Amino acid sequence: MTRLIRAEWRKVTSIKLGWGMLLGAMALAALGVVAQIASNGVRGGVQLPLSNATVQKSIAASASSAYLFSIVVGIILITTEFRHFTSRPTFLIEPRRGFVIVAKMLVAAVVGIIYGIVCALLTAAIMIPWLGAKGDTIHWIDGGVLESLLSAIVVIAIFAVVGIGLGVLIRNQITAVIGALAYLFVLEPLVQIIPVVKDVYPYLPGAAASAITGAGRTTSSLLVPWAGGVVLLGWGLLFALSGWIFTIRRDIP
Amino acid sequence: MPSAEGRIVAAGLTKVFGEVKAVEDLSFTVEPGSVTGFLGPNGAGKTTTLRMILGLATPTSGTGTINGVAYAHLPAPGRTVGAVLEATSFYPGRSARNHLRVFCAAAGVPDTRADEVLEMVGLTQAGKYPVRGFSLGMRQRLGLATALIGNPRVLLLDEPANGLDPEGIVWLRGLLRHFADVDGRTVLISSHVLSEVEQTVDRVVIIAKGRLIYAGRLDDIEGASAGVVVRTPTPDALGAALTPIHMTAKVLPDGSVAVSGAGVTLEAVGHAAWEAHVEIHELRSGSSGLEETFLRLTSETPDAPRPDA
Repeated sequence: MTRLIRAEWRKVTSIKLGWGMLLGAMALAALGVVAQIASNGVRGGVQLPLSNATVQKSIAASASSAYLFSIVVGIILITTEFRHFTSRPTFLIEPRRGFVIVAKMLVAAVVGIIYGIVCALLTAAIMIPWLGAKGDTIHWIDGGVLESLLSAIVVIAIFAVVGIGLGVLIRNQITAVIGALAYLFVLEPLVQIIPVVKDVYPYLPGAAASAITGAGRTTSSLLVPWAGGVVLLGWGLLFALSGWIFTIRRDIP
Repeated sequence: MPSAEGRIVAAGLTKVFGEVKAVEDLSFTVEPGSVTGFLGPNGAGKTTTLRMILGLATPTSGTGTINGVAYAHLPAPGRTVGAVLEATSFYPGRSARNHLRVFCAAAGVPDTRADEVLEMVGLTQAGKYPVRGFSLGMRQRLGLATALIGNPRVLLLDEPANGLDPEGIVWLRGLLRHFADVDGRTVLISSHVLSEVEQTVDRVVIIAKGRLIYAGRLDDIEGASAGVVVRTPTPDALGAALTPIHMTAKVLPDGSVAVSGAGVTLEAVGHAAWEAHVEIHELRSGSSGLEETFLRLTSETPDAPRPDA
């Protein structure tokens, strides 16, 4: 297993993709944070000051929007194997295909954690001087700002693993990436307003992610943070398991 | 019973895609210490067969084994078998050296092996560049380098000469012969062009339409190919004259007649024609090349019986 993890780690670090995606993740996280601060904590029409802990928490949580890039990285890391046929030498050297997928998930989790830490630090680096200039103290511990940043890291990391799972199931790179983004951006927010699905909504991937950070989409009831984490990770494993049954066990292109 | 070490065995391998039988009841054995050519026209089922032996595709029926076990059950496949399936298995933006280091890690061999195999295939200088800019010949060499990472006893190479320049083919021949003759490794190379591997292989497995045509020594097939080619205005009369002496005449696309069967010699055919008063314009030995025999062997295969017949 150590061999496989080392091999998978080298796959990530020997190409530029990860770095480019990290820049994208940073840009997205920064954009969210800046937008939140600049709008001066406008929430539900009621103007709250930046010194308010809830506002600060919400600003910190917007770092988690970088998960869009971590899920794409996860998808690309696995689908690129099929696209460029590196799946052949990979599964020739290790015919136990499940081990390869597990190694890939672990490496994706590490990549996701790195993305998360970078985005969290970036968020802090924007918040500290900006709020400091306005004379507002940041409620790191008592207001849960730090907790918010940590939960953003968790969301970003889990989505990288979900990306691997999804890529195992949908081997076509373009289809998997577009499908994931279309779902998270369009489909899930739509589903939210359908009465029948309201009960299951908290268990959907996007809602589970929101549950972890407690950010956005507060209109529906969400799971408690830890349950959100379990559910989100569960989606990743479910995808991977379905992929195992429908694609990976079968002939490798 | 001799050891199965280094032996590749296909036993009744069959692969059906939908209604198409890509490979049908294919059995052959490849022994260590030889370079075996796996030959057949495009679409004959060569790659599918290799993929089944390598565990990348599951046979509809039959088994493929290496060292007596299915590929998936080899204790250390990366260090036992080296295989290349088409020279396209690279991430374009990754350097050749990093590509190899990935698989050094996966196979559990030291990273220095990456530089060793780069040198073996003559890519030391190109190693630091992304594979994106590599020619087909360079990709072939890198594919071979990947297969050699685990210093395997058994090599399966799909069309390894494809894209190599003549100099490269000579180099490949030397390398593969060395593996077989000096190291006693098992080398199986596929090709759709016999002439490409004719001077490299000592044994051949020939398939067409997914079925075995011939398996054995290359020398034997050369002997068997020594037929006779006749040009005559009356092929039917010639055929009638040859039937009693157990020879068969077949009209070739160019109008000449190929005579085959046991005891076919220029003298025997000439004599039979003379006795039957068949006019002859040309009488020559048919062993004009192994390639012709190969084409004849692979085109004479009867079509597989249709399911509704």
